[in-house]
Amino acid sequence: MAEYRLDCMGEACPVPLIKTQKKMADMKVGDVVVVEIDHSCAMKNVPEWARKEGHNVDIEETSEGEWEIYIEKTK
Amino acid sequence: MSVQASVSSETAVKRSPKKKKNQLPIAIGLLIVVIVLAVIFSQISKGLAIAWIFGIGFGVVLQKSRFCFTAAFRDPVLTGGTSLSKAVLLTLAIALVGFGVIQYIAVQAGKGVPGGVNPAGWHVAIGALMFGIGAVISGGCASGTLMRVGEGFMMQWLSLFFFVIGSLWGARDFGWWNKLLISSSPKAHLPSVMGWSLAFALQLAVLGGLYLLADWWGKRKTR
Repeated sequence: MAEYRLDCMGEACPVPLIKTQKKMADMKVGDVVVVEIDHSCAMKNVPEWARKEGHNVDIEETSEGEWEIYIEKTK
Repeated sequence: MSVQASVSSETAVKRSPKKKKNQLPIAIGLLIVVIVLAVIFSQISKGLAIAWIFGIGFGVVLQKSRFCFTAAFRDPVLTGGTSLSKAVLLTLAIALVGFGVIQYIAVQAGKGVPGGVNPAGWHVAIGALMFGIGAVISGGCASGTLMRVGEGFMMQWLSLFFFVIGSLWGARDFGWWNKLLISSSPKAHLPSVMGWSLAFALQLAVLGGLYLLADWWGKRKTR
């Protein structure tokens, strides 16, 4: 059970998603990645993609305009 | 959804919750300002007040729904998700019927076709490509940029500045594009060419077909 942090602060729209997809491909089942974002668009498409893939997802607004997306790889 | 599993994964990760400011007083204050301005605008001109209310309404819907025209075309390729694509198709279908009614009434009354009936040609493809490159660099399409400017995302303030410069540049060069491609491209108002009922049926059928395709694509990738 490893944990990773993915710093996507300041990254524009599809970049956080692509970074997450690449990171998830390297991870083992049960690993968790925390994606840090400040782009409101990524708050929609990253969780949407991860849920669609069947992973466990949770979002938290850590401060105004900054979010952390927790994704646990399930398969 | 598996709530249990996500809870256990949460506890494994250190959280850094911060107290958030209560935004409700600001929201109520802004709402009052919006209404007061709407009343003032309506004294000046009716159109101005209507544009103001519709502008605010569009902004609220865009922000709350995270509606993004770029994502509607990008997500099917990038994530396999088609929820936004279907939303855009629905929007087009509703707008088609609405504008159709407006045009039909105007034409029956003996007026010309209202709204912009513009030529279709290579200039659309060239413009779309330029728009796409710009959207990637600036981190958002037109609506997304404007919406995030309002959210207070500073990077997009810079985008807005160059968005305005780019638009002005485009307006400056419009004559050149017009002479090169636009004026020689074909122009058709479908109901005038094939009749109202056939045009309506054809356009709705195309949108419906695309909707079914998007729906199928969205479900297909889940496995």
